[in-house]
Amino acid sequence: MIKLIKILILVNLVNFSSIAREKGQIEITANQGVEVFQVEKYYYLKEKVNILSDNFELNADEVKAFFDKDLYDIYEIQASGNSTLYSQEGIYAFGEKIFFNLKNETIIVNGKNSKLQFNDLNMFSNNLIDVDNLQQTFNLQGELSILQNNEIKIIASSIKGKFINNNKINEIEELFIKDQKKLNIITKTSSMFALKANYNKLNNTIELHENVLIIRDQETIEGEYALINIANESYKIKSKENKKVKIILNTSSNE
Amino acid sequence: MVISLNYLLKINKKILFVLIIITILLITLTLVSQSILFNISQTENYTYSSNSNYDISKPKFSINNKKNSISITANKGNFINKNEIILEDNVEFTSKNFKISTSNVYFNQKNQTAKSLVNSQFESNKTLIKSEGFDITENGNIIKFNGKTKLIILE
Repeated sequence: MIKLIKILILVNLVNFSSIAREKGQIEITANQGVEVFQVEKYYYLKEKVNILSDNFELNADEVKAFFDKDLYDIYEIQASGNSTLYSQEGIYAFGEKIFFNLKNETIIVNGKNSKLQFNDLNMFSNNLIDVDNLQQTFNLQGELSILQNNEIKIIASSIKGKFINNNKINEIEELFIKDQKKLNIITKTSSMFALKANYNKLNNTIELHENVLIIRDQETIEGEYALINIANESYKIKSKENKKVKIILNTSSNE
Repeated sequence: MVISLNYLLKINKKILFVLIIITILLITLTLVSQSILFNISQTENYTYSSNSNYDISKPKFSINNKKNSISITANKGNFINKNEIILEDNVEFTSKNFKISTSNVYFNQKNQTAKSLVNSQFESNKTLIKSEGFDITENGNIIKFNGKTKLIILE
């Protein structure tokens, strides 16, 4: 009896391995089958879906894969439920939903605890992470969204930006940050708070707007607008007409 | 005029009656045979088997939709009821876009649906699907591959 079971298992394994993926092919497996919608032009794959190609691997509970001219011409993958994506381009994404367009090179990660690591850039959100690799832009939406690399950590409900890929390192070129309550920018030397902020790599400056608070070493600065030069860490700060700039020097810890 | 009427009166009435009956019979036979032939061309997709193990040999059916047609062939077929047939041995579904091969399929002529519960292989241009069965519904527009399924796409 055990011998018979072993033979049956072996026959089953041989049967499925007989069409193993070769280089240049995409292999898709699903435990609960594949539905092919020929008019609507998509595959619907269910349970423990794995998509493996030379360039990427995607795992999810369910996947819709849209094709264009023919069944082989897959251009968009919509994964849902514990979705993960690894790519040779240095991308690791995790979320409730991942939409991955192979032609436009866009990745959208949706849901709570969404994460997208793109080379040295780390993005976290509880709502939306959207990266366009061709346009070299990104967009994070949702409370306490985080953008982080070795130099900077940004926490806000809206973080939009542009990047440039330089030898597998994504350098941030521009940032547009907003938060209705308080955004936070943390560098190696400072922690900054405001309602709006912009970063420009060309000028190497950070602009902070409204309810500005900068905490650096032993000083705390409050105002309505600040322009910070990152290179020499100098800053200009302004207040509203009826208010004054407030600087608190904390020297108690040295005494 | 008188001459022609006389000529008609000379014809034997019995012969005339027989001729009329024969003509009516010929017309009726022609009409009936044409009707039978028409019906045969609509349904004769298979030949009844003389083998007691199966009902029909080399059955051939089709599933049609607005865009294209799927031709179904097999070596054997057994009727479950008026509409349902089990197709066995080298069963193939062929359309202009794909071919599905398997060994056993339940085919419903009326609903134009097909279901297989055994290993099946789908082949199309640069696409190969291997599954543990399949369902064809909505006149072939939706094909569902069941169980553990592997899809290979040649880039």
